[in-house]
Amino acid sequence: MRGIASVPTYVVMQPTTLCNLDCAYCYLPFRAADNRMPVEVAQAVATSVEGWAGDGRFSVVWHGGEPLAAGREHLAALMAPFGPQVEHHVQTNATLIDDAWCNFFQDHDVRVSVSVDGPEERNGDRVTRGGKPAYDRIMRGIEALRRHEIPFSALCVVGDPRAGAATELYAYFLELGCDVLGINVEEQEGVNTRANGHAAADVTAFWAELVAAWRADPRIHLREVEWSLRYVAAVLDRTADDLLPRQLDPIPTVAHDGSVVLLSPELAGFSDPRYGDFTSGNVLSTPLAQILAGAMSTPWIGEFLSGVESCRAACPYFGFCGGAHAANRYFEQGRFDTTETDHCRNSKIRLLEGVLDHARDHESPAVRC
Amino acid sequence: MPETTSPRLSDAELSEERGIDPVTARVRDTRAGLATLLEEAEQARRARAESTSGDGSAVCAWNHFENIPTFYNWNNRPR
Repeated sequence: MRGIASVPTYVVMQPTTLCNLDCAYCYLPFRAADNRMPVEVAQAVATSVEGWAGDGRFSVVWHGGEPLAAGREHLAALMAPFGPQVEHHVQTNATLIDDAWCNFFQDHDVRVSVSVDGPEERNGDRVTRGGKPAYDRIMRGIEALRRHEIPFSALCVVGDPRAGAATELYAYFLELGCDVLGINVEEQEGVNTRANGHAAADVTAFWAELVAAWRADPRIHLREVEWSLRYVAAVLDRTADDLLPRQLDPIPTVAHDGSVVLLSPELAGFSDPRYGDFTSGNVLSTPLAQILAGAMSTPWIGEFLSGVESCRAACPYFGFCGGAHAANRYFEQGRFDTTETDHCRNSKIRLLEGVLDHARDHESPAVRC
Repeated sequence: MPETTSPRLSDAELSEERGIDPVTARVRDTRAGLATLLEEAEQARRARAESTSGDGSAVCAWNHFENIPTFYNWNNRPR
């Protein structure tokens, strides 16, 4: 894995900066403002991705802000320029989902992923702009999805990973009915400056417990467990060197105004005297393919790739991880050529250790529920 | 879940294969427990019909990302 690929597998689009919630851990800087993406931005991106989508599966992930805050009419206008071969995904807080949105998802073949942090008492950070708990609204949206039999994924932020939390969490998501689950240990990113250091034993125990809970009833595709098992299987098969891609996916994030940030969506909307605004161009003036081809001219990206090589040289978990994320390096350490971050520790190193601890301690088959 | 079936190894007891990084060594030293877990995971995938595509399910949507073996995609997946 060296350098950045010139063709992405998906693009993240920001139909509006606005979010109707004000979650305590959110990293987005302009979520109180309704800066909407003009259709011209979507048209420019659609023109660029047409060839990529023809060569294989290609996705547009409508992110935010809260993408549904853009409204159905505007979101439909933004999606319209894309060809039928492009898959559309939406990551939503679910609070705006109703029957009309469900019809929209079905009509436009949109894959849905919701953000919810587990049982009601674990959603204290997810609040409205008035500071009121958002859980009831989230659940109303999810109930609409279930009523319409729309399959959905879920992302769950965990602020305090430790033993005792994972079993309850997994049971909750089984009951919720999601097909896929991703667990994001809270990160220190963007405008969220809360520290994310945790005791190693606590985090490892959390992941080990999650594996145990999943193993007892593995109906859900649990992202972290699946990836960990894919890696350990490759290690055991002695094919781990083939697991990481040849080049990093650029993962372009196209902000509402057409500006493009590569590699880490969380950098969009920020600037630094040393690195500028982190953007690599704007699709309104430069085709996306050309922006990607010139990625190395973006000041921070060369420094980041140097950091990836430092990870490769120094970290025994590199084969599992591929290097610390750009945003985590920057927001935790102020630079891109550093190596291990708290995010690495919480979500990579302790994850793998937790999976291995579980496997070491449970050599017999699981007792199924 | 079953009770703990394997005693913890001390660091000194872990494999000492030359040229192997400690993570690879630890994975290999956990082979017995992982083999069972990996088999169960494969059965679970088959039960979830994740090898199929085109049915519009959320699973397949995320697998679109995950079938492309980039951990970086996984890591940078938007929240």
